[in-house]
Amino acid sequence: MDLLLTQEEIAFRDEVRAFLEAELDHDLRRAERLNPSFVAYPEVGRKWQAKVAKKGWAAPAWPKEHGGPGWTLAQRYIFDQECERAGEPNFRGASIKMIAPVLMRYGTEEQKRFYLPRILSGEDLWAQGYSEPGSGSDLASLKTKAMRDGDHYVVNGSKIWSTLAHHSTRMFALVRTSDTGKKQEGITFLLIDLSLPGISIRPIRSICGTHEFNQVFFDDVRVPVADRVGEEGQGWEIAKYLLEFERGGSFAGGALRALHSRLLKLASEPLPDGRRMIDDPVFAVRFAEIATDIDANDMLELTAMSKVQAGGNPGSVPSSTMKILRSRIRQAIAELAASILGRDALRWEEHRPLHELPEEPEIEEERKVASALYFNSRSQSIFGGSNEIQLEIIARTLLR
Amino acid sequence: MDLNYSPEQLMLKESAARFLSEVSSFEFRRQIIASEAGMDEEVWRGFAELGWLALPFAEENGGLGCGPVEISLLMEEMGKALVTEPFLASVVLAGGLLERVGSAEQRERVLTPLIAGMSRPALAHMERETGSDLGCIATQAVRDGNGYRLYGRKALVLGGASSDTFLVTARLDNEIALFLLPAGAEGLARKTVRLVDGSRACDLMLDSVRVDEQDLVSARGGVLPEIEAAYDRATAALAADAVGCMDALLAATITYTKQRVQFGQPLANFQALQHRMAEMAVKCEEARASALLATLSVDAPRTIRIRAVSGAKAKVGRASRHVAQEAIQLHGAMGYSEEMPVGSWFRRLYAFENSFGSTAEHLARYGAIVRDPAVLAGGLLREPEAY
Ligand SMILES: Cc1cc2nc3c(=O)[nH]c(=O)nc-3n(C[C@H](O)[C@H](O)[C@H](O)COP(=O)(O)OP(=O)(O)OC[C@H]3O[C@@H](n4cnc5c(N)ncnc54)[C@H](O)[C@@H]3O)c2cc1C
Repeated sequence: MDLLLTQEEIAFRDEVRAFLEAELDHDLRRAERLNPSFVAYPEVGRKWQAKVAKKGWAAPAWPKEHGGPGWTLAQRYIFDQECERAGEPNFRGASIKMIAPVLMRYGTEEQKRFYLPRILSGEDLWAQGYSEPGSGSDLASLKTKAMRDGDHYVVNGSKIWSTLAHHSTRMFALVRTSDTGKKQEGITFLLIDLSLPGISIRPIRSICGTHEFNQVFFDDVRVPVADRVGEEGQGWEIAKYLLEFERGGSFAGGALRALHSRLLKLASEPLPDGRRMIDDPVFAVRFAEIATDIDANDMLELTAMSKVQAGGNPGSVPSSTMKILRSRIRQAIAELAASILGRDALRWEEHRPLHELPEEPEIEEERKVASALYFNSRSQSIFGGSNEIQLEIIARTLLR
Repeated sequence: MDLNYSPEQLMLKESAARFLSEVSSFEFRRQIIASEAGMDEEVWRGFAELGWLALPFAEENGGLGCGPVEISLLMEEMGKALVTEPFLASVVLAGGLLERVGSAEQRERVLTPLIAGMSRPALAHMERETGSDLGCIATQAVRDGNGYRLYGRKALVLGGASSDTFLVTARLDNEIALFLLPAGAEGLARKTVRLVDGSRACDLMLDSVRVDEQDLVSARGGVLPEIEAAYDRATAALAADAVGCMDALLAATITYTKQRVQFGQPLANFQALQHRMAEMAVKCEEARASALLATLSVDAPRTIRIRAVSGAKAKVGRASRHVAQEAIQLHGAMGYSEEMPVGSWFRRLYAFENSFGSTAEHLARYGAIVRDPAVLAGGLLREPEAY
């Protein structure tokens, strides 16, 4: 065992760095710095994703046969660390990281041929249609109905908390096709074109002041049967397979390290009263503790993912473990960063996106976004299945 | 020692809860927060009619002569009701300070219209550079004939967005002096600042603002110790507001988990969540006790006051963070959205933690005092002060 880079990997790292140097311009970096969320602002993310796609790097974890770069794990790690350190507006969300691996595993040839290239090119942006007003943690209790009518399903019901649905072209959704038997067995996985008649979207604002998620209503929406993934009733198996990717399918370590590096910068700057937080022993201990968490998390991500072939699934306990650790670390960093603000934490900028405001020195902008980042970080232990549910999954396996 | 609320105090609490639930629903607050002013004049008039604006002031000044206990009862209810009208800033902080340091003429000039609901004073002391050392201000007062001219900047003046009168501190001959300024004074520029809890403050710029001799608020022995005491009274009051928010979060979480069904049963049936709520309740009680200690110590000698107030600021700060985070977590995505008031209390408690000095700053202030073995070993009951 060792952690050494090969000559090729060093060359690859340098190529990534050169690419970032050339393509990740000031405006993109600044927009990302002022983004309180875990997902880039769509118009910013789209711009960046187009550049990455042009280079052939749109989907780091995809195998070559589907248009991915077919990278080794070391290359994926390097790419993640370099991009995040440079401050990229990461836009590899539900499309690239969730629905794509599902299509690769469960999709028909036709579905793969049609949908995967549109994801790579950015033509399609996907929203996740799992949660419903009455079904969050108990996802399998979902009620959105799909009735078969010839070559179509007629969908009625509503999905909630759908991130970026208002910017998306499509949604993958879990729907109920049967009310008999176990509740898991009546679930089917559908691909829904969000421009279909009968779909309406209600925006919902989060406590960090951003409109990011939505409620989506379906009123007699006709979805072609050809847009079903897997068999009728196979939805639950597919849903769980997808969740492994959502929770632990790709590296989060680079983003955490980048956030912590930003925190170091913030803490090294003199405060209005002349002190520097990094000189404060209590702060310094907390800062170092979090750094050990990040190192351990990187190592854990590497070991867990080294067991997975490119395109393969991480497994439920490892992905739940990763989800818990990542969310906690992100929350800890955001909390510590906000603690630096002092009285300025009272100031609240309402305008979104923040990067539309006149540019200020970098440190001022870091201070401006820190409270919102802290508020946003509270969502980390809720989305993708709450941390309580991750603990349930781990406990059930442990105590089986 | 007497730890019972008087019947009058209990009545005040009850009528406050009733009035505020009538005039300050969550939907109403949402609209107010989104409005330009961030506060409601009608509600403020209601405060005046109920006598709340007169509460802490001596009868000779037209007040009701109540003490910190009444203030804390009101503040608790205001926290619950997410009140954004500047009661704390105008009545407790600015009014309270002026009552103690102002001349009879100045008290008449400021407190009478304040009590009538016609005027809202605000204290403009802190500057961007002012850290835990309250004496660190740079605003200058320069003599100018039979008056003064003020130069400098003030940051985050609480209640300052809608106030008509500022109490401004400035250095005068190396002492800190306090001046009364009308908001419309020439050379005074005000910039409204939106705060994280939805209320409004302001930043002030003073460029050669002229004040007359009669607007110098005299205070024998310098005004700084009185300013420190005023901030301590305000901090104790704000701790009560925070306790109100914590109670509200716990109550909301209990209600929600009892009614939200997942896996065929209410969330409140799950032991994992029951213990989390029980822990929240422990934190609420601890915070309430700590805030009460502060309330009952604001008029005590300085060391005792600091121990109680800074101790409470730190204690309630940590406890409230725990409760606020747990409340969101137990509400799931609903708690993270603006669909329910949970997030509003969360943000208000975040504001609490960062008002009048952070948890870390108050711990340091407290730590410096309990390092004295005599202070550390001393219990809470004390001899009455000799007047
Ligand atoms: C920012 C954000 C983005 C999201 N984006 C999407 C999206 O794009 N698409 C989508 O489909 N969904 C999305 N979600 C929804 C997310 O998946 C759900 O919030 C999550 O599954 C929890 O469900 P809930 O919010 O209904 O909470 P609930 O299920 O109501 O749970 C409330 C609380 O009870 C706890 N709890 C529940 N059951 C148990 C139990 N048995 N034991 C112990 N504790 C329990 C939970 O952990 C939680 O703390 C998003 C959520 C957030 C916050």
